[in-house]
Amino acid sequence: MKKFLFAAVFLMVMGMINTASAVEPMEAFREPMEKILKLLGDPQYKETNTENLKRQKITIITNGLFDYTEMAKRALARNWRVFTPAQRQEFRDVFADLLENTYYNKVYGEYTNETVTYQKQHKISDVKARVETLIHRETVDIPVKYSMKLSKGVWRVYDVNIEGVSLIKNYRSQFSKILKKNKPEHLIQRLREKTAQFEKKENSEQ
Amino acid sequence: MKYAAFFSVVLSLLLGMGCAAHNASMESRDVLSRSVQSPAQVTEKDSVEQQGLTEVDSEFLDDSLDFLDEEDEEIEDGIRIGDPIEPWNKVMFQFNDKLYFWVLKPVARGYRAVVPHVVRNSVKNFFINLTFPARFVNSLLQAKGQNASDELGRFLFNSTVGVLGFWDAAGRFYPNLNPAPEDLGQTLGNYRIGHGFYIVWPILGPSTVRDSVGLIGDSFLNPVTYVEPTTASMGISAYDRVNGLSFRIGDYEALKDAALDPYEAFRDAYIQYRYKKVAE
Repeated sequence: MKKFLFAAVFLMVMGMINTASAVEPMEAFREPMEKILKLLGDPQYKETNTENLKRQKITIITNGLFDYTEMAKRALARNWRVFTPAQRQEFRDVFADLLENTYYNKVYGEYTNETVTYQKQHKISDVKARVETLIHRETVDIPVKYSMKLSKGVWRVYDVNIEGVSLIKNYRSQFSKILKKNKPEHLIQRLREKTAQFEKKENSEQ
Repeated sequence: MKYAAFFSVVLSLLLGMGCAAHNASMESRDVLSRSVQSPAQVTEKDSVEQQGLTEVDSEFLDDSLDFLDEEDEEIEDGIRIGDPIEPWNKVMFQFNDKLYFWVLKPVARGYRAVVPHVVRNSVKNFFINLTFPARFVNSLLQAKGQNASDELGRFLFNSTVGVLGFWDAAGRFYPNLNPAPEDLGQTLGNYRIGHGFYIVWPILGPSTVRDSVGLIGDSFLNPVTYVEPTTASMGISAYDRVNGLSFRIGDYEALKDAALDPYEAFRDAYIQYRYKKVAE
């Protein structure tokens, strides 16, 4: 009986893992995105003292949605091989800081009831997909495509493409230009300085 | 028109990337806790490198860049473009940057504060309708019949029902009548004429040799060009520009702030954007 129970539980767990990976990329994207939009539009967080709480909540959602290591790797491209493993990790962390600091206030700070339409998904392979969305903003609709990758059973975003402009490729061209003349340490240092600048600015505004 | 579209790219980049930001913030919290115990971390990492890997660090030991193979080499080549006049371009980039912060932005902001949204939107529609000839001709030059007939339909409908184009009536009644805006730069690209090299023009901003030729060609199809005297013509263009900008204040700053090397970021964004426009 015990053995049977064990087998049953085992099968159930396997089943759950299977269903987890069977989630369609579009769904894997839509659900967290809608949660974020809901948080953004929630009047409960309009007061400044709850701003941090909102930010934390959104952070938790997006952390599961974005494959940050993959983004860092693709942004460095061939230069990834020049970086030591320790530098790679450090780079990923500071690159993450740059994105976070730049966009939080600019985008979510100025959120004006944008909505998103999830148009279609395009499966490139078993582990790669593209989800096409349309962001409705004031008087214009902006087509935004998200490149997603299935790793460890979860679909996560590794690039954002708007009207043909890839975010990661844009950073790639900047980084490769810097790395042509400088060492990895220099790039990491510059990213760190950029973050420090932002934090200084933020503190002075408060 | 092209410029306006470019700005819309810039703006949308920001929206799209906003999402990426949040993931980052989570990671940064990790960093925080990591940096607290950093001395131990370093030695631990070193030993990991020597002995083999833990699960967490293995992703940073992975040298494979297989994604480079899947990326279309042809696209990469199309995007690579020379910048032989970089010193000039950088000066012009700085000039445009100052022009934006010192002149365009304050003016657009004041204008936005005074003029209601509905009026600004009508003005925007009017100018879009007015530049129909260039889009129509370029659709024909690229043998895009459907696009050309959609353009014509929109123009006729908006010029009449839409009261000289001030109201985007076609957008209201025929939302599917939404042709992709074509310009001469795209037509030339369609004819397999290369970019030439990158040029930053004062006031007009990022361009290439090919797109500059396109800009001049298209200006002959823009009614505003034929307004006399020339100062009036320039005034109208400037007004169109400010009106358009009133919808996008803050976008330029955001992309600039996001960049580690703003000059390179704008150059790359422009080239990627134009490449896609020609390809579609």
